[in-house]
Amino acid sequence: MFEKRFGRRTLLRGAGVLGAASMLPWPSACGDSDKDALTFFFQANPDEADARMRIIDEFVRRHPDIRVRTVLSGPDPMQQMSTFCAGGRCPDVLMAWELTYAGLADRGVLQDLNTLLARDGSFAAALHADSIASLYETFTFDGGQYAFPEQWSGNFLFYNKRLFTDAGVAPPPARWEQPWSFTEFLDTARALTKRDRSGKVTQWGFVDTWVPPYSAGLFGMNNGVPWCTPRTNPTHFNIDDEAFIEGVQFYADLAAEHHVAPTATDAQSVSTMDLFAAGKAGMAMGGHWRYQTFLRAQGLEFDITVLPAGSHRQGAQSDIGTTGLAIAASSPRKEQAWEFVKFATGPVGQSMIGQTGLFVPALTSAIHSAGFAGAHGEIGNLGVLTEGPAHSGYLPVSPAWEKINSLIDRSFGPVLRGTRPATSLRTGLARGIDQVLHHP
Amino acid sequence: MTPDRRRARAGRMFVAPNLGALAVFMLFPLGFSLYMSFQKWDLFTPPKFVGVANFRTLFTADPLFLIALRNTAVFTVGTIVPTLLVSLAAAAILNRKAKAIGIFRAIIFVPLAVSSVVMAVVWQFVFNVDDGLLNTMLGWLGLGPVPWLIDPGWAMVSLCVVSVWKSVPFATVVLLAAMQGVPETLHEAATIDGASELRRFVSITVPLIRGALSFVVIISVINAFQAFDLVYVLTGGNGGPETGTYVLGIMLFQHAFAFLDFGYASALAWVMFAILLALTVLQLRFARRMSLEI
Repeated sequence: MFEKRFGRRTLLRGAGVLGAASMLPWPSACGDSDKDALTFFFQANPDEADARMRIIDEFVRRHPDIRVRTVLSGPDPMQQMSTFCAGGRCPDVLMAWELTYAGLADRGVLQDLNTLLARDGSFAAALHADSIASLYETFTFDGGQYAFPEQWSGNFLFYNKRLFTDAGVAPPPARWEQPWSFTEFLDTARALTKRDRSGKVTQWGFVDTWVPPYSAGLFGMNNGVPWCTPRTNPTHFNIDDEAFIEGVQFYADLAAEHHVAPTATDAQSVSTMDLFAAGKAGMAMGGHWRYQTFLRAQGLEFDITVLPAGSHRQGAQSDIGTTGLAIAASSPRKEQAWEFVKFATGPVGQSMIGQTGLFVPALTSAIHSAGFAGAHGEIGNLGVLTEGPAHSGYLPVSPAWEKINSLIDRSFGPVLRGTRPATSLRTGLARGIDQVLHHP
Repeated sequence: MTPDRRRARAGRMFVAPNLGALAVFMLFPLGFSLYMSFQKWDLFTPPKFVGVANFRTLFTADPLFLIALRNTAVFTVGTIVPTLLVSLAAAAILNRKAKAIGIFRAIIFVPLAVSSVVMAVVWQFVFNVDDGLLNTMLGWLGLGPVPWLIDPGWAMVSLCVVSVWKSVPFATVVLLAAMQGVPETLHEAATIDGASELRRFVSITVPLIRGALSFVVIISVINAFQAFDLVYVLTGGNGGPETGTYVLGIMLFQHAFAFLDFGYASALAWVMFAILLALTVLQLRFARRMSLEI
C-alpha cells in the first residue's frame, strides 16, 4: 500500500513540524481582545465576588470602551501579586491590604496615585471631602498615596441576643464612646459560659474568629497603647509597653486562665465561626466579613457591640482593617485603570458596595446612606459600623511586615497557649522586631 | 559521510532536545542561584553584589538557621530510622510466598500514589486532639489526649509519623526488589545448619541488600532535607507552632517567597546542597568500606 517506508528523516521532520507548531500562538476562546482588557486582581469569597462583579458590570456599562478581566486571588494574595509583577504580568488594578501594601509600594510596584489625582481636580476635591481620614491615610506611605480605600474591615463583637437574655445579662454597649471595661467583659463572658456535669464546656462566653495574635494586639491597643510608633515606617513596636502587655495578657487569659474562650486545641475540631453560628458562643470577635455567614445561620438572633476598653484607655476602638484599590506602576493601561479605581472607590461604587451588605464602605456618604442602613436592617447597633472607621486605631505599615509578622506569630504562640506570660514578649519579640526594623 | 559518523550525528540529534532541556531547566537555574547567592535581590530592584554577606549572616547572625538545621536533623533521623525498620520488616513479609501476597503488595504501595498535600490534609484530621483517630485509639488504652499539632515538641513527632508513612512504600519497593535477588540456596544452606528465620534475615538477607539499603538511606536523607510541602500543609508556612517544625525547606521558602530575599534564599539552598553532598559522600564511603569488609 505504501510506496515509501516511514524513515528516520521523515520522523525527525514530523517531530520538528509538530514542535514548531506547538510554539505558535493558538487562537484562544478569549481572543486577542482579552489581552487589551483591564485586569483586576482581588480576593473574595463567592458572595463577595458576585458583589464585585456587579460593580464591574456597572462600570463597563458606563465605560463601554473599557473591558475588564478579573483575576481571583488564591489563599496568599501577596505572594501571588509579587510573582505576577516580578514576572512582568502585573494586573493593572490590584487589591491592597493595609498590612502588606507597603512591601509592594516600597519596591516600586504600585503607582503613586497622587500623580493621577493632581490632574483630576474635581475628583480629588470630592474624594477629600467624602473620605474618612484614618482610612485614606492608611495607604499614604513615604509621601505617596498608593491606594484608595474601598472598605473598612475593622473588628468588633457580634453577640447572641438570646443567650444574653437566657443568662440574665444586660445587653452590651452600643457606642464606641461608651465602652465596657475589661472586667465587665470578663464577667459577661463568664456568665455566658456553660458546662455540663463533667465540666466540659457546652457554650463558650467568647470566641475569636480573627487572627489570635492580632486580636491580642487589639486588646493591647484597647488598653491605651498603639501597636507601633509611628504609624508608617515604625521605628519601634510597643510590645514592651506595660499597658500593651497587660491587654495581651488579658486576652490570653480568657482561654488559658478563665476558660471562657476556646483554646487552640478546643478550636481544632470546630471553627470558632461555626461555634457562634450554631449558638454555642455568646460573643464572637470578627469583622463585617462574618456578617453574611451569621445572617444566614438558622435561629441565630444577633446584634453587634464594641470591644471592651482597659483601665488605661477612655473609649474603645477597633483596628483600621481596610482594603483599597491600587494601580500597578508598570500598567500599560493606566488611564483605564484610573477610571476604574475612581469609579469603585468613588461615590457610585461605594454606594453600591454599601448596598450589598457585604462590605462597610470607606466614604462617609456611602456609610451613612439609606442603602447601607437598608442592607443592615437586622442590626440594632448600627453605630458600631458607621462610627467604626472613625474609632479605629492604626495597624503597622512597614515594608518589613512579612518578617515582623513571622516573629509575632512565633512569639505569641506560647503566650496564647498559656505556657509563657505576656511579659516574655518584652525581651524576645520586642528585641527581634527592633532588629528587623533597623536592619531590614 | 561514513555510516559511523552518520549514526553518531543522529545520536547527537536525538539527545540534543534532552540536553537542551537539562541546560535550560537544570544547569541554568543552578548557575543562576549560585550567582544570586552573592547578591541582594528582591525580584523588583536590580541585584546588588554583596560578596559572601549572605553566607556570613546565615552562619553568624541568624539564630533561626541553627534552629532549622537542628529541626531538619531531628526530622531526618526521625524519618529514616523508623522508615528503614518498618520497610525492612514490610519487605521481608511481602517477600514470602503466600496466598494473595499480590494484594498486600499493592496495598502497601498505596501511600506512594497519594500526593503529599492530600496526605497532610487527611493526617490533620487524624491528629485532631479532641476527636482525631490517634487520640481516640490512645483513649481506648487509657492514655490522655496528645496535643499533636499544637505543642511544638509533639508537632515534630507528628511530622515524622506522616513522613515515615509516606516514605515506607518507596523504601519497601526497593528493598523488596533487592531481597528477591538474594539466592534461595543460601537460605536453604543456613536452614540446614539450624539458623533461625531471624538469624537468616540478619546474617544473610541484610548484608546482601546493603547496596539497596544504602540507596534508600541516601534518597531518604535528600527527601528529608528538602521537606517542604508536608510541613507547609500540616503545620503552616511559618514552621510552627513556634519553631517546632521550622525546617530548612520552610526557611528557604519563607525567605524567597514571603520576604522576597532571593539572594539569602539562594545562599541557603547552596548550603543545603553542600550538606547533602557531604552526607552522601560519607554514606557512599561508609557503604563501600562495609562491602569491602564482607
